[in-house]
Amino acid sequence: MTRHKLLSLGHGLFLAFIALIIIFPFYWMIASSLKTENQIFQLPPVWLFKPHFASYAAAIVNDHILRALLNSLIVTVGAVALGVAVGAPAAYGLARYTFRGSSQIQFWYVTNWMLIPVVVLIPFYLLAANLRLIDNPITLILIYQTFVVPLVVWLLVDQFRAVPIALEEAALLDGMSKFGIFLRITLPLTVPGITVAAILAGIFAWNDLLYAFILSPGTDARTAPTVMMSYLGGYIIPWGRVMASAVMITGPVVIGGIAIHKYIARGLTLGAVK
Amino acid sequence: MKPSVKSLLLGSACAAAVLGLAPNAHAWSLQQAAAPYKGETVTVVGLDRPSYKAAQKLTPEFEKETGIHVKWVTYPYENSLKAETLNFVSHSGQFDAILSDVVWPVDFTKAHWVVPIKDFMANKDLADPNIDVKDFFPVWRHAFTIKGQLVGLPFDSYAGLLYYNKKILKEHGFSGPPKTWNQLLTDYAPKLYDPAKNLYPYALQSARGETQTADSFTRFLWPWGGRYFDAATKKITLDSPDAIAGETFRQKLIKFGPKGIIADDHSQVVQLMGQGQLAMVTEWSAFYTTLTTSKAGPDIGVTTEPAGPKGQYSAFGGFAYMVSAQVPKKVQDATWLFIQWLTSKSMAKPLLENGAVVARASADTNPALQAKYPYLAPMVKTWEHGSVPDWRPQIACYPYFSELVSQYGSDIETGQYTVPAGLKKLSAKLQHYMNSTGCWNSVNVPKH
Amino acid sequence: MTEPTLHEVKVPRIRQWEPWFFVGPSLLLLLAVGLYPTVFVAYFSFHNWTMGMGPPVFNGVDNYIETLTSSDFISSILRTFLFLIVTLPIELCLGLAIALALDQTRNAWLRRLVQILLVVPIATTPSVVGMLVQLMFNTQLGVVNYGLHVLGIAPVDWLGNAHAALGMVMMTQIWEWTPFVALVLSASLATVPQDIEEAITLETESFWARFRYIKLPFLRPGLVASIVFQTIFTIKTFDMIYSVEKGGPGDATQMIALHIERIAFRGFDVGLASAESVLTLIVTIALAQTVVSFLYKDEV
Repeated sequence: MTRHKLLSLGHGLFLAFIALIIIFPFYWMIASSLKTENQIFQLPPVWLFKPHFASYAAAIVNDHILRALLNSLIVTVGAVALGVAVGAPAAYGLARYTFRGSSQIQFWYVTNWMLIPVVVLIPFYLLAANLRLIDNPITLILIYQTFVVPLVVWLLVDQFRAVPIALEEAALLDGMSKFGIFLRITLPLTVPGITVAAILAGIFAWNDLLYAFILSPGTDARTAPTVMMSYLGGYIIPWGRVMASAVMITGPVVIGGIAIHKYIARGLTLGAVK
Repeated sequence: MKPSVKSLLLGSACAAAVLGLAPNAHAWSLQQAAAPYKGETVTVVGLDRPSYKAAQKLTPEFEKETGIHVKWVTYPYENSLKAETLNFVSHSGQFDAILSDVVWPVDFTKAHWVVPIKDFMANKDLADPNIDVKDFFPVWRHAFTIKGQLVGLPFDSYAGLLYYNKKILKEHGFSGPPKTWNQLLTDYAPKLYDPAKNLYPYALQSARGETQTADSFTRFLWPWGGRYFDAATKKITLDSPDAIAGETFRQKLIKFGPKGIIADDHSQVVQLMGQGQLAMVTEWSAFYTTLTTSKAGPDIGVTTEPAGPKGQYSAFGGFAYMVSAQVPKKVQDATWLFIQWLTSKSMAKPLLENGAVVARASADTNPALQAKYPYLAPMVKTWEHGSVPDWRPQIACYPYFSELVSQYGSDIETGQYTVPAGLKKLSAKLQHYMNSTGCWNSVNVPKH
Repeated sequence: MTEPTLHEVKVPRIRQWEPWFFVGPSLLLLLAVGLYPTVFVAYFSFHNWTMGMGPPVFNGVDNYIETLTSSDFISSILRTFLFLIVTLPIELCLGLAIALALDQTRNAWLRRLVQILLVVPIATTPSVVGMLVQLMFNTQLGVVNYGLHVLGIAPVDWLGNAHAALGMVMMTQIWEWTPFVALVLSASLATVPQDIEEAITLETESFWARFRYIKLPFLRPGLVASIVFQTIFTIKTFDMIYSVEKGGPGDATQMIALHIERIAFRGFDVGLASAESVLTLIVTIALAQTVVSFLYKDEV
């Protein structure tokens, strides 16, 4: 019994420690965004203070953070929609058919993901600039497919394999087309998996810095992470504003992530289903 | 009939008016010059710094007078060169008014990305007769004169200055700031070093990037007689005894600085100075307002940077506006009108009063303004006697050159290499880079 | 019944186009956005081209020779591997420990809390993480050194000391990505059938035996996926390190992606940057191919 209690205590302490490590930087970010510039650097830290919202107002007025958040939203939703639209059928094709080169193709998707962004940036920039597509969300939506499609395909192949084949065979007998089966039978059964893939892909798209700050650098076109970089201008770093922007940038993603955390456990099986 | 005195006066007033108006009809006015360009939009590259804030605030005046729209696009310093270069290489015509750091004009001119200023100056319809280019300090004109041609109009111009905390100096028995770097190190530093009380004599901003190259490495090169290279023999000279002496001095000095300084950028040292934890800091003139409005603000004094054993060579930096060669002629003309207006003599005072730093002698030496802005006098002194236009090399391949300096400069500062070993490695690296890229042919040697 | 089942290995001749109908659009899209620029990079890699200094001029394999003889490239690659081989095992062990802890029945609400919190680091924008690190690890004014001070430990020069800085970005990387591993492994553990688990619990009290013989086989795919994904994420790491210190102090935290960015967008030497990119891509693909084929060898 004591051994059981001891184990329970150790287990609890371990989890509490993990929770603390995860939450503290996040807390520090929120607290700093609500402190005055002088309180941010005060040591020992001020734990109790009157929240001060001026940093948020400044981030909104001076840094046009809301505009940047809107740009990020457009790019993210666009990239995920396109990625799922082409990636889900691809995953289905790989899950249901074995054909010449299918395993090479599956690997090739991942290869795209391995592209280090700087590698393709220069030619992609020159192409986009020739087409007058710098500062245009379409450019980012397209380049983000290099990681959205592989992610969607990898996550969904498993999901589709998990759908019993018998269901599809029955529909085939009823005279449904292959694509009709995919769309009406299989797809609806994998909505949780698709949601996880979409949210994860969305997190990566939302968080991207390197593609965004080269391909969409304009004041009106920049995305939220680019605003973060703009604080490193070699002048002074307005920490209150930086942290207020940080909260507004990460807030939506963190809330989105928490909302689907239950599905993630089911969706991230990644090859466990064969 | 005898004309009444009244009518006589009236008549002569009319005549005077007519006489006065006649030449005016042919004189240059911005409004008239801009008439053909009404409705054009000029895209201007700016930075997130006070001078550009001031310029943006005053821009509506220009728009109102000319009917030309001005669109500001703001970049962090580190990204501005990237954005402009990519814009030119891809011919995407995103920017009309090009911002050039004092170390980029060779690059921009050599590639024919910008229009020579003389093209506009020669055009009577476009050139303001009051432009008075000579009113820009010589050091600034020389910095933007490539192969005898002026290529940009200076804007947002800095001098390195020594900011000091009067109260802290006084408490430790000093009546004023040091005149030389040696004094700072041997007399001031030991007495002002008190880490337990969070007090340091001096902090050197050294973050990787242009800060390391300009504010940290180069600051300890020229005053000791060190030079980057000898253009005539195409030799990098950073392993010379003078350069070694200067960088060795830097190593001695940073021992008295706060820990972690090597990673610090302007923001951190300004923060420390503002919190009253530093007795002295060398910073750009543009930081005057930020520093004097901080917590320690009332105690902060400003003077020229200390001199080295081989004389005074303060940090020199800043920008100029140029006109992109890749946009339609009409837009180029409108752009010229804007940068001519922005950098004009008459705008210098309002810009200054809105927080900008300008290189116009007429404004910077104005006694009333000097009384109001104490940083002006040492800044003028620096530009007139205490610095050189090619304080950092004027070469077409400067960006990567500076990256290499910054990398090895911080390796030396962290102690990864000894000073002579690090400088030797850096020299070899730069020599190889300059030789292999053919960059030697682009060296601009400005007048001193 | 003549109609074949859908996943018949031998697809009838008449239906050979079918998989391509599903896979095709995504392949075309990726060819356009991924392969097209890559081909150009390969082309530039055989040219001497510095932006602003004339048009590209063919120079054979000069860029490759320059790259392979440059200590900067080699040391950035080695530093990236060091970064990978330090962080990956820690992420795997810690992630596994968290996943196993979450798989227990004790401390229900703490488990639930941690399960929710695991999403937080993954979702936090890396450039925000970088800025936050800069703030918290500041030597003079940061909360981390204050914490150490409270514990009686001397302040560490996190951003100024080369070793400390590398350690700091490693810790940050672990903070960011261990939760991902934990979630993937949790998902794998959830695939262990309930009845098997119950049966074995009656058989043996030994945690180790239950882990080794029941859970590990189910964890294998998750571990493989974690290794593959973390390898990719680590080699690509850019945003976080860039916003902390741009690879500094000196080149202490300069990973390969930062190194190439520096050559491409600070030096504007497209030819050299392209050659380094091609070599990096080859190394990455070879590495991933090895990992995948080694770990999946009896499956794919």
